[in-house]
Amino acid sequence: MIAEMSHLPIILIAVPILMAALMLFLRSNEGVQKGLNITVSFVMMALSFVLLWQVWNGGIQVYEVGEWGKYGIILVADLLSSGMVVLSSLVSFLALLYSLDYIEGKSLNSSYHSLFNLLVAGLNGTFLTGDIFNMFVFFEILLLSSCALVVANEKGGVTKSSDKMEATFKYLVLNMIGSIVMLIAVASLYATVGTLNMADLSVKISAMSAAGTLPWHIFAIALLFIVVFGNKAAIFPMHYWLPDVHPTAPSPISAMLSGVMIKVGAYGMLRVFFLIFRDALFLFQPIIIFLALATIIIGAVSAVGQKDVKRLLAYSSVSQIGYVFLGIGFGTVHALAAALVFLVNHAIAKSMLFLTSGGIIHHAGTRDMTKMGGMIKTTPVMSVAFLIGAMSIAGLPPMGGFIAKFVLFDAGLLAEYYIPIAIALFFAVFTLFYMFRAWLLMFWGEIRDVEKYGEYSSHKSSYMITIPIITLAALAFIFGIYAEPLIALSQAIAEQLIDPQPYIDAVMTRVVR
Amino acid sequence: MNNTLLTITISLLFGIGTFLMLRRDIIKVIIGLSVLSHAVNLLIVSTGIFDGTKVPIITGSGHEGEASGIIFNDNLADGVLAPVVSASTHVDFVDPLVQALVLTAIVISLATTAFILILAYRIYEEYGTTDIRELRRLWG
Repeated sequence: MIAEMSHLPIILIAVPILMAALMLFLRSNEGVQKGLNITVSFVMMALSFVLLWQVWNGGIQVYEVGEWGKYGIILVADLLSSGMVVLSSLVSFLALLYSLDYIEGKSLNSSYHSLFNLLVAGLNGTFLTGDIFNMFVFFEILLLSSCALVVANEKGGVTKSSDKMEATFKYLVLNMIGSIVMLIAVASLYATVGTLNMADLSVKISAMSAAGTLPWHIFAIALLFIVVFGNKAAIFPMHYWLPDVHPTAPSPISAMLSGVMIKVGAYGMLRVFFLIFRDALFLFQPIIIFLALATIIIGAVSAVGQKDVKRLLAYSSVSQIGYVFLGIGFGTVHALAAALVFLVNHAIAKSMLFLTSGGIIHHAGTRDMTKMGGMIKTTPVMSVAFLIGAMSIAGLPPMGGFIAKFVLFDAGLLAEYYIPIAIALFFAVFTLFYMFRAWLLMFWGEIRDVEKYGEYSSHKSSYMITIPIITLAALAFIFGIYAEPLIALSQAIAEQLIDPQPYIDAVMTRVVR
Repeated sequence: MNNTLLTITISLLFGIGTFLMLRRDIIKVIIGLSVLSHAVNLLIVSTGIFDGTKVPIITGSGHEGEASGIIFNDNLADGVLAPVVSASTHVDFVDPLVQALVLTAIVISLATTAFILILAYRIYEEYGTTDIRELRRLWG
């Protein structure tokens, strides 16, 4: 059993791909399809925790696919990768559980299970791969499966089909341009350095930098990578697709997109800039900080005026990813740890809010917040969950978001970035305003005009819908009152990022056949 | 990449692709995307080509085998798995890896183009037009 455990990185990628194919063959048997997918998804989550535990105890794991050494594709599970895999497996298991009862039966049966498994495979692959071209391939798997999932139908059909088409078209065209830019960057990097392995790239670029022969176009390539990952994470100039795509997607997919997919951009930024371009980083820190601040401001200001509940949450995601990038831009150990704490807390709280908004939309039959009101009497579970999420996003104690914002601002002050922190703090107040405005509009006050908008649905939400919401709400609360393990883990990850020598050693000291 | 003609071709393709992407017709945008992706494919291939190089095919047991230091045959007793090129050897082959990269990139762009064409057809069904300026219902 112990010997099999060294195959964990490839298992986490291969099993979802196999499941995607298997799910197509099981179309005639709906019950088996659902049961098998949930079971496998749960096992994947358990295995991802095992992987994190192994890496925490035994150091960085390197898995050579095909035993080609550094010349072939390698999978590297360091603390950052395995931590991100744990996060994505957790959110995807809960989102899958939620979608069994939320997605329309025909759509769920025919393609949803396969595509969801491909999405999980793409996420795990992106986090675990140690090869920059392989990362591009997994990005494309991620892009195509998420595009097809955005157009999946939910029960009730609140979102029009034409809206989904329009949003997906924007998303796909922008991300195709993003992937073309990434290909240019990877090709230029390969032409300059002559390798695609990230650890090898890091060693060679450091050697060139030490010898003073770093070519100028390395900086241009690094800028291209900012465009690529900025497009994935929706930071300022490339943010405008997100508020269209995330609201039109079905709620469990919105939770996946907002909870995990935009974090892929932050992960790529951490991996590429702190491993490959660490000698050129000083030049890009001001750019990243500027873009992050612009993202925070644009997201917060746009969110204030929204009437659509999911659009508000999407703009809030834009604003919050800015804080993560702010931490990345500061670039100290404390700031990176803070950015990771923020990332985890935002993933938990925002997935929970999107899942909750799905329940709310199902209940009210509309996404317009001005057509809701007084729902605290009819859906107490949703209102409490939304309140916990709103408090966490706004950064109120005792929720996880408070700890996240506190450590981030603390790290910024330690690194003496006073003006960026002042701007970020000012727009954190906006967060408080728009989240509580949404809560008051939906749950407080009079019950809406029944003659004009109709009764609320009396349909009770099933356990499939409430259990994921309650689990994530509990996590958001636990990360607030018992934050030490998360902070310790983030600190360890940040130390590995600042000093990538163990990562390089783990990859490079393999026996090349 | 010392080939002027190739460089001009790539830059022209980039120009055509960008021009088509800025058109108002959805189909022209999609054609622009595919032209752009082929420009990138050519760029990748061109990064492996240097002046005076040959195709990356190692022929036979090698007329330059022993002399050049390239090992063509496996020697399992010593743990040598062919082909092995010693660091000091001068090899005038083009880089075969970029062609593998291009193959992957072509397959991926095929899949995305197929998806986006179906999407364009569905948009035409829903909106009754392929004019990209009509796609603004989400702005409300």
